[in-house]
Amino acid sequence: MMDIFAGLGHGFSIAATPLNLLFCLVGAVCGTLIGVLPGLGPVATISLLLPATYALDPIGAIIMLAGIYYGAQYGGSTTAILVNIPGESTSVVTAIDGYKMAQQGRAGEALAIAAIGSFIAGCFGTVVIALLGPPLALMTQKFASPDYFSLMVLGLVSAVVLANGSAFRAVAMIFLGLLLGMVGMDINTGEARMTFGLIELSDGINFVALVMGLFGVAEVISNLENVSTRIVNHSKINSIWPSFKVLRGAWGAVTRGTLLGTLFGILPGGGATIASFSSYALEKRVSKTPERFGNGAIEGVAGPESANNAAAQTSFVPLLTMGIPTSATMALLVGALTLHGIAPGPTIISRQPDLFWGLIASMFLGNAMLVIINLPMIGIWVRLLNVPYRILYLVILVVCAIGVFSVNNSSFDIYMTVGFTALGYILRKLDAEPAPLLMGFVLGPMVEENFRRSLITSHGDPMVFLQRPISLTLLLLSAALLISIVMPSISKRRGEVFQE
Amino acid sequence: MKSIAQRGNSDFYSGLLLVVVAVVALLYIRTLTIGTVLEMGPGYFPLGLALILLGMGLVMIVKGVTTEGVSVGRLHLRPLFFVLLSFVAFGLLVERAGLVIAILVQVGLSHFASRETTWLASAITGGLLAIASSVVFVWLLKIPVSVLP
Repeated sequence: MMDIFAGLGHGFSIAATPLNLLFCLVGAVCGTLIGVLPGLGPVATISLLLPATYALDPIGAIIMLAGIYYGAQYGGSTTAILVNIPGESTSVVTAIDGYKMAQQGRAGEALAIAAIGSFIAGCFGTVVIALLGPPLALMTQKFASPDYFSLMVLGLVSAVVLANGSAFRAVAMIFLGLLLGMVGMDINTGEARMTFGLIELSDGINFVALVMGLFGVAEVISNLENVSTRIVNHSKINSIWPSFKVLRGAWGAVTRGTLLGTLFGILPGGGATIASFSSYALEKRVSKTPERFGNGAIEGVAGPESANNAAAQTSFVPLLTMGIPTSATMALLVGALTLHGIAPGPTIISRQPDLFWGLIASMFLGNAMLVIINLPMIGIWVRLLNVPYRILYLVILVVCAIGVFSVNNSSFDIYMTVGFTALGYILRKLDAEPAPLLMGFVLGPMVEENFRRSLITSHGDPMVFLQRPISLTLLLLSAALLISIVMPSISKRRGEVFQE
Repeated sequence: MKSIAQRGNSDFYSGLLLVVVAVVALLYIRTLTIGTVLEMGPGYFPLGLALILLGMGLVMIVKGVTTEGVSVGRLHLRPLFFVLLSFVAFGLLVERAGLVIAILVQVGLSHFASRETTWLASAITGGLLAIASSVVFVWLLKIPVSVLP
């Protein structure tokens, strides 16, 4: 317990340096910005800003990128409540009751509860990271390569759970990603593989080019296909200070949403979107007056908004303690860490205490900043909605191009982006999500390394994965997770959740 | 805009895509040492992946041909074409003609990607982007490109 206080104290001494405070603020502001703007998600934005963080030191870079992710959870609720347009998928359910409240002239109340709930949940989630991180990392350090291999299988399976649509297709996307991850030098022999003779590919496919194409540019093209809707006017905000009665009504929902979100964030296959949907369903079920839901129930805002923030925070646990990303955003952060020369894994806490504790401390500070950024300054963000997409997309494209170029100062990476944009566009048209592909790509080299090492130590016996208790447990978990998706009853419910 | 929605089922085309990727990969993997379980060569793991991908692709093709599935989303070639073209132009120009011209050409080409753009707004955006990028990326972040030719 003392270690945690010492760690946190150390963390605050790092996060509170003027420069890191600035990075935290920039991350929080960017997160709010993209949360407010529909059609620009955290994955696209983090990939957009990734090249810009090269010049920074790794701690500052991660603090900023993390801020974008949890900041987006705050911003997403603003537009959901005021104009009925969820800025993020995690705020889709918030719009149901939030917008109704706004129409009834209770927009300020809804926004305040969303921000307060988010703050409480964000802080609680951060405490959970600090508490769970060190013991989990110690446990993972005992892992041998077969256990690691199985852990990565579990991480990859969680990508299937998160994907919308056919599970079979998501698995295929993972394998496609794994195969793309093989391009470049072979770890054992140093031989170039699948580079097609291109010297530029000898270090592997450029991560930024892949992400920028699949997510950033392909998303812009998808958005351009739809005729933009202009927001004419939005609901007025009167008082942002909720009455005591409202606070008392929301209290239970905030608590339940926080706990639910915390759990969903840690679990593989959980994540912020599912957490917010589940919280809404839970609130409706426990309520004595479920008929109020859909007509402006404060619990319908408080629960999901708390849940998505808690989950956004605790989804850092698997990343920081085991080096396993459980979502596309976390996969991006793995890429960011690797680009800065930090190998993600259980040794992060012991070898990079500055990074781990600094990041945690920055999350407390960032959450506090976000409340201020979001509540008193709400008017500014709403006005941003008036920036038409026909101007915004030009800015995004130019920033993308310069960003990709600046990684290696090579035009080759830009042509790679063109290729991955085309792939990303086609995959979207084929109803195949690119997120599992990204997970496969990031984990590919590690999966191979541990697979090869396992079989060397076991003298070629593949049973090694089933003989070690840790590995067996992880594989059984993966199998259970996979079966639960394929089972018709559950997959039907999952479909409903995504459809809503 | 031509639509292939009537002709195709997305399972079929997804499968086709996977098969093509797998076959290209397999052709390349042929040149690598495969090795044995005990002594895996560089080609061992990629070979496994490519074979699985091939198998999954074939299953999807069969599924696409035999069952009625979701049809492929409508393709809009205009935004796709102009956005990709604008990136290629940026890549060709940035080292040869400098950042400002590369940005202006990119904005000029991607202008056509949307039907809602107006020349005035795009021109102002392009100009501001060229100035801002020169300051931020070349002057502050020190990317080694020249601003002007």
